[in-house]
Amino acid sequence: MATAIEKCVHCGFCLAACPTYNLLGEEMDSPRGRIYLMKNVLEERLSADDAQPYIDRCLGCMACVPACPSGVEYGDLLVSYRALQEDQRRRPPLDALARKLVIETLPYPRRFRLAAQTGKLSKALTAALPDAFAAMLNLLPAKLPPALPIPPVMPAKGARRGKVALLPGCVQQVLAPEINYAAAQLLAANGVEVHNPPGAGCCGSILLHIGAERQARDIARRNFTQFPADVDAIITTAAGCGSGINDYELLFKSQPDAERATEFSQKVMDFSAYLAELGLRQPAGFEEERRVVYQDACHLLHAQSQHAEPRALLNQIPNLRLLEIADAGMCCGSAGAYNIDQPAIAAQLGQRKIESILAVQPDVIVSANIGCITQLRQQLDRLGNPLPVLHIAEILHQACAD
Amino acid sequence: MMNRGILQALQKIYPADRLLTRDVELLPYESDALTAFNAKPGAVVLPVNEEEIIDTVRLCHQLALPFVARGSGTSLSGGSLPIPEGLTIGLNRLNRIKKIDPLQRIAVVEPGVINLHITEAAQPYGLYYAPDPSSQSICTIGGNIAFNSGGAHCLKYGMTSNHVLAMKVVLADGTVTRFGGESVDGVGIGPDLVGLFVGSEGLFGIALEITVRLMPQPELYQTVLAAYDDLGRAGDAVSMVVASGLLPGAMEIMDRLAIKAAEASVSAGYPDAEALLIVELEGEALQVEAEFEQLLGIIEKSSAIEVRVAQNEEERTRIWKGRKGAFSAVGRLSPDYIVQDGVVPRSRLGEALVEIGALKDKYQLDVANVFHAGDGNLHPLILYDGREAGALERAEALAGEILALCISLGGSITGEHGIGMEKRDYLPAMFSEEEIDIMEGLRRAIDPNEIANRGKMFPGGEAPALSQHGVHPLERAGLISRE
Amino acid sequence: MTMYAPRSVTELQALVLDSERIHVIGNGSKPALHCAVNGAAIVDLSGMSGIIEYQPAEYTATVRAGAPVRELSAALREKGQYLPFDPLLPEAATIGGTVASNLSGSRRFRYGGVRDFILGAQVVDGEGRAFGVGGKVVKNSAGFDLSKFLVGSMGKYAIMTELTFKVFPDVPRFRSLGFHYEELEEALSAIYFINQSAYELDALDLAPPSVHPINRGKKNGNWMLLARLAGFDDTLPRRVERFTAAMTRDTATIRVEELHDSAALWNPLADLTGEFLVKVVIPPKQLPAFDALIAHNRRRYSVGGNIAWAATDDIAQLDTALTSCGLTGLCLSGAVDSALIGVPIDNALAERVKQVLDPLGKLV
Ligand SMILES: Cc1cc2nc3c(=O)[nH]c(=O)nc-3n(C[C@H](O)[C@H](O)[C@H](O)COP(=O)(O)OP(=O)(O)OC[C@H]3O[C@@H](n4cnc5c(N)ncnc54)[C@H](O)[C@@H]3O)c2cc1C
Ligand code: SF4
Ligand code: SF4
Repeated sequence: MATAIEKCVHCGFCLAACPTYNLLGEEMDSPRGRIYLMKNVLEERLSADDAQPYIDRCLGCMACVPACPSGVEYGDLLVSYRALQEDQRRRPPLDALARKLVIETLPYPRRFRLAAQTGKLSKALTAALPDAFAAMLNLLPAKLPPALPIPPVMPAKGARRGKVALLPGCVQQVLAPEINYAAAQLLAANGVEVHNPPGAGCCGSILLHIGAERQARDIARRNFTQFPADVDAIITTAAGCGSGINDYELLFKSQPDAERATEFSQKVMDFSAYLAELGLRQPAGFEEERRVVYQDACHLLHAQSQHAEPRALLNQIPNLRLLEIADAGMCCGSAGAYNIDQPAIAAQLGQRKIESILAVQPDVIVSANIGCITQLRQQLDRLGNPLPVLHIAEILHQACAD
Repeated sequence: MMNRGILQALQKIYPADRLLTRDVELLPYESDALTAFNAKPGAVVLPVNEEEIIDTVRLCHQLALPFVARGSGTSLSGGSLPIPEGLTIGLNRLNRIKKIDPLQRIAVVEPGVINLHITEAAQPYGLYYAPDPSSQSICTIGGNIAFNSGGAHCLKYGMTSNHVLAMKVVLADGTVTRFGGESVDGVGIGPDLVGLFVGSEGLFGIALEITVRLMPQPELYQTVLAAYDDLGRAGDAVSMVVASGLLPGAMEIMDRLAIKAAEASVSAGYPDAEALLIVELEGEALQVEAEFEQLLGIIEKSSAIEVRVAQNEEERTRIWKGRKGAFSAVGRLSPDYIVQDGVVPRSRLGEALVEIGALKDKYQLDVANVFHAGDGNLHPLILYDGREAGALERAEALAGEILALCISLGGSITGEHGIGMEKRDYLPAMFSEEEIDIMEGLRRAIDPNEIANRGKMFPGGEAPALSQHGVHPLERAGLISRE
Repeated sequence: MTMYAPRSVTELQALVLDSERIHVIGNGSKPALHCAVNGAAIVDLSGMSGIIEYQPAEYTATVRAGAPVRELSAALREKGQYLPFDPLLPEAATIGGTVASNLSGSRRFRYGGVRDFILGAQVVDGEGRAFGVGGKVVKNSAGFDLSKFLVGSMGKYAIMTELTFKVFPDVPRFRSLGFHYEELEEALSAIYFINQSAYELDALDLAPPSVHPINRGKKNGNWMLLARLAGFDDTLPRRVERFTAAMTRDTATIRVEELHDSAALWNPLADLTGEFLVKVVIPPKQLPAFDALIAHNRRRYSVGGNIAWAATDDIAQLDTALTSCGLTGLCLSGAVDSALIGVPIDNALAERVKQVLDPLGKLV
């Protein structure tokens, strides 16, 4: 933590990249300001409680990391700081309740499904509930889609080009089972054998994001045993999970299972990255030109520096026209549990994002992260705009189906 | 904590969320990019329009409350360092580009607009805003005006001052005035007030609206990267280019340490060398191609150990990214550093570099050199570790000697970063007592209470909390005295 | 009216201290600037002349204010360099006068005006103090930049005795072209086209039908856009070709001709005869409205239509025209009460400088 703080030379280069600084326009809500606040808390010049609201408002989008010439590991700093504070923190009862709900529900598909269904009943009550709850309920579609079970092993079609396991994810499984379904089909169609271990589950990032380190570790450990060892890669279709698992090394630092965690995280690969490397087998493409905006998920763009890979895949599709938008690197406001923690800022960021997307008049929006997809759908709903928002696996699947 | 009466007056102008008074809100404003100094302001206000700024300045004048304007807080000389218990006026929310007029090639902007955003807005018309400080992705036009900021590409078309055509400002006593116009001749008739205001380091008042000229994007760039096994040879190459009659858009040099930092930061793929020279030609394609031939001939004769030419825009961007990130990248090599900004006559660059080399041995500190070689503007970065006892003092002393060196070679103590807080005690080494008197007189004629950016630029005055100060090297050398 | 010709800074200081009102002339090449100084001691600086230091490798030159522009230009030319702000009256004016009145010729178009090339100065102010402003190196941001303030200051704030400039390498070859347009608006569109293109012109002026020698006498002459390209033998012909092709492709040119490149062609005042000669700083977009009001006058729109030069016998009419367009003019010749006509300038900041440099109001 100390080195991250020391490396910061206060040059301010990161400010331009930070969504909260752009939106709120104050130094406390900038990366430089947050680092300075954390420094002052650690040096006991400032109370942690005073600093907390500004740390809470950080999206964890990591846009500040590639922007920093000095190499400040803001992500590590934030995670360590949050974890440190979490233990000592007293929260107002309602917040604490929402938090508990997140910790105990989101990572568990069945519980989440259940909560979602009961939550749906209480949609009528949103007006009476505090913001945090309202935001959570708003995340949910009116009707949950039916589960789409994927067989434990899907054989490769044609010559086998690879063998992978698919990380099921948590929230995504409930809200959008079609994503992994499409991904599995597409991989298989491109000659990849796909394993879907029934016992696997949430990666724990969402918990890490809100500073619930211990719970995150417990959840992660369950996965280590569930995946076959001889696969080329463990594929995730949720950008958040990918970058969360990248943090395992930090999460398990000086903890039991550290080695296994590193091994596991090195195997994990984002869907687009894997497929871009492999290359698509002659995609059929679309009959008419389709204008597509690819919305960069922060966890892919900033945390895993993936800019070219998804674009390369989309550019392989005949009749697909890829459009670039203004401020493409700016977070859409979804950022893990941010929608739940900071609904007002999340909504404003979402609004900005959808405005710059609509400005280039796409036919479809594509992203590689369920959080972004949900956020953008919500924004479109608000505008009464029926524009489809698809996961990259879905549009590729459509384009490859004959 | 600020006086209740003052706070109440400020509350009449600002809603609670734009009037910051709690410690947690003030601490992040404690310093700019020069962290050797910090001072907690009494309050920070975040105006969103011109009227609020004018009201605030008038209030400050009435109450004799010192204020400092702040853009993005990237000043390297302590320019936006708060005045203890004074008011910091954050202008970053005034970030509208009010007009882009591609036909007349001008833009009208608010002071908090980020330098690079003007270029981005002008790009669709084939135009750009020329001054390009390395901090262009975040520094504001207001800050650029205060320091007459320059950049790598200022050799041909000049610095901020050369690109501002008109301004509306509120002077420190609350007077609102305008000068200049949309003609490229700017002020054109009567004394050049734009020229006077630009570079006044926030001491005259606050710029409210700025009209800048835009330039057509050059048709072609040719960027050459030449590596040398000796810093002096790179300097000689610069003299050869100048003597040839070529007028490149940029000529920059980085030494080994700076190369290392930049490499660690953006992996620009720089060659391994003692010094790198970047020369960039820009302009009409046919002309640039002809000049390029000539340039390559010169570079060949300059005993470069390796020469690379950027083959496409991507390679060009990479070369520049390394150069522009070099300052902050030094944060990877050392926990603390001081950047100096002295200027020497171009023909004495070699001498200056040798001398700096000797000084760093004397003080046993590392110095990385990154500089605008084309106009003799040095940027020695003095690396030190603030936790080590006496290190800051040594770094400061070394910095002082470098400044004294620049003056003795007939140059200036600052090319583009300004005097600010950092170099105010060196002003007497450059100007006579009478000259400083006159400048101070001018300041008081505009700002009788000396409220605008109090404590900056002029020697003495009340000093904010410094994390420093031994005997000043210039003092030791008998060049200045602070009695 | 008494005339003095000090030969040194000390003499000049003594003169300032001894005089109640004092007015400086360089060579008197712009007589209107010396009206309304009745009773003031007239100081002729031509005795303080000569180049002090010229360092081609530094791109800098320092000269005394009374030095003739032509002397400096000749010295620069010898080393292949020039003053890119293009002094307006290269034969008659002094360096000090050129700075004090801020008068640039057509080549200002390429790199900028006097303000963009002044680096520093030595002055004597209204209190008789002699001091320096600015610096001597091409880049300097220490202290307030009073050297730029002196540009256009008409000797009213301080008397310049020595000036340092940034200079540039010049190019050896020029080609001049004339593009004909029936209407001002068309010519203006061509200027806008050039503004957004990457063609680098050395100069760009617009001559109205009645003014240019080629058109003079014809009833319905054309507007002529004068463009000058500068460069080297090997590329210039092809650049001229490309530029001409681009100009005739998208714009309403009716005729292009190659003009004989000469100093006279690029002297914007060459044809302007009239009792009063006036400089107007004008944004190109205001040209149509302004031109409509002064169409009967000799005039030329220089520097891409950003500076208007107008000759008239009826200064009151020009004053009204300027006022109605919200513009200011500077009268260079003819008997006027004040050299400034049209809309007055907001002087709040300049007045503060006056308080400091010349509190007794000696310098007029
Ligand atoms: C890594 C790094 C690289 C840099 N590279 C360069 C470079 O290449 N070239 C260069 O010239 N500088 C460079 N700088 C210095 C700095 O970025 C510039 O001085 C910049 O102009 C400051 O802009 P800012 O918006 O951050 O201003 P701030 O630091 O916020 O303020 C600077 C000064 O401007 C005044 N000010 C701000 N707004 C106004 C206004 N509207 N009216 C009047 N006064 C105002 C403030 O009071 C203060 O005195 C660099 C800085 C860093 C950290
Ligand atoms: S860019 Fe890096 S070094 Fe600069 S302020 Fe931000 S975190 Fe600190
Ligand atoms: S992680 Fe995102 S929101 Fe947080 S400081 Fe960095 S850029 Fe800002």
